[in-house]
Amino acid sequence: MKKMFVIQITALLLISGSLGGMLVFTDVYDEINTRIVSVLCLSCIKLEPKLDLEYIFDTANKENHPDFVLENLLEGVVFLHYSADACHGCDIIYSVIKDFFNVEYGKDEVFFETTLFEDSPVAYFYNNVDHTTQEMRDSYEVYDVGGQGARPMCTIVTLKYDRGIVKPYFASIYGTFGDTDEERISFLTQTMQASIELYNEFRDGYIPE
Amino acid sequence: MKLQKKRLLSQIIFFFYANLGVLNIKTGLCFPFFYCHACPTASSACPIRAIEQSIYKGSFTWKFLLYPFLILGTIGILSGRAVCGWACPIGLLQRGTAKVARRIKNHSFAQKLGQHKIEKYLRYIKYINLIGLALVTSYFIGFMFTDICPVGFLTGTIPILVLYPGKFVPNSFFMIALIVFILFMILIFIVERGWCRYFCPVGAILAPFNKISFLHIHIDKEKCIHCNACSDICPMGINVPEMNRDPECILCGKCIKVCSKHIISYERV
Repeated sequence: MKKMFVIQITALLLISGSLGGMLVFTDVYDEINTRIVSVLCLSCIKLEPKLDLEYIFDTANKENHPDFVLENLLEGVVFLHYSADACHGCDIIYSVIKDFFNVEYGKDEVFFETTLFEDSPVAYFYNNVDHTTQEMRDSYEVYDVGGQGARPMCTIVTLKYDRGIVKPYFASIYGTFGDTDEERISFLTQTMQASIELYNEFRDGYIPE
Repeated sequence: MKLQKKRLLSQIIFFFYANLGVLNIKTGLCFPFFYCHACPTASSACPIRAIEQSIYKGSFTWKFLLYPFLILGTIGILSGRAVCGWACPIGLLQRGTAKVARRIKNHSFAQKLGQHKIEKYLRYIKYINLIGLALVTSYFIGFMFTDICPVGFLTGTIPILVLYPGKFVPNSFFMIALIVFILFMILIFIVERGWCRYFCPVGAILAPFNKISFLHIHIDKEKCIHCNACSDICPMGINVPEMNRDPECILCGKCIKVCSKHIISYERV
């Protein structure tokens, strides 16, 4: 009986002490909240958002577009790619988009490159939201029109005329863009072509706010 | 208040805790039981998802791996698998389906199956689920338990489809998950606490703690008349008179209530 009590007390002190230590000395509580609890896990729901490409002017959280987006819009269309850890859909899209834009980077990196699509410059940003900078993480909130924190999310920012001013005009899309890589490439190609067409039409009138 | 009413009240209170997200309360805790954070009203994280995320495709985030084990470990040392019997919302669901399961249990075929020697080995499936699907496949190939989890389907997929009609489409795991979910529903109607007995990976983490938990079920074996009323009523199908800190015991207390000799009791330390 005494031996069991010693084992129980030792185990309790060891485990609850470690748990208390983790809660006090690490940011695990916040990380679990922001990376799991507050994110819509597409693996857990076995669904992905319907591919519904809708361009809009108003940002999701009514904040201004990030400076890095406004600046890069001077050069061309901006493509923002948001990924996350332990995300099956993100893994599918990761390799497709890398090939599509012909860029090379690691899945945990923050990556930026001005690349070319059919001879038009595209500012491509890759963000793994679990490993990125605060600025990039904040930009996710700006474009998360679904409002559920779903990943993968891609945002294409182009330009369009709105009540006398040329403004950033964007669409956010979630999920894997189809069942096969051919479908995904085809969807991306059409989307990029339409976005670049809009951009070319309105770029002369664009002045960053 | 009678013990089983107290237990029901406790399960209802924990059901509300699990769904505090409806009041926009989202914590950074892991549930100490089986519930899915993809449920639109969930307040905490699924411990299995945290474990999977920590080692997904060869990555290693030690905090996410250790944290759920420490939460479950602390509760496990204090009360063993009592959370399965007193707190888990999926346990509450199975309480609702138990009447049907008990009726089926009395059928001769079910009795034969229940007493078959293979039955005790089926209980190891939950450890295979934990090690195989939550740890090994997640680490090596990225296939996770959460991809096919029936509880995620019940508490995440179905509410999301209802709340956001037409906004989502099935992913590649949907059909498999649907089949698993149908099997899960059949299981909990034909075997009392079938999910807890055979498949629950959170139960697999908690089960070993029954061996050293402060709170456990004590039986005065010398006074036992072997009427087997306790074994008959046990939702986990344990041979109660022979039980000694059984890893399967969820401390529901049904055996305490039914014992005519009053020789079964909760014991601390």
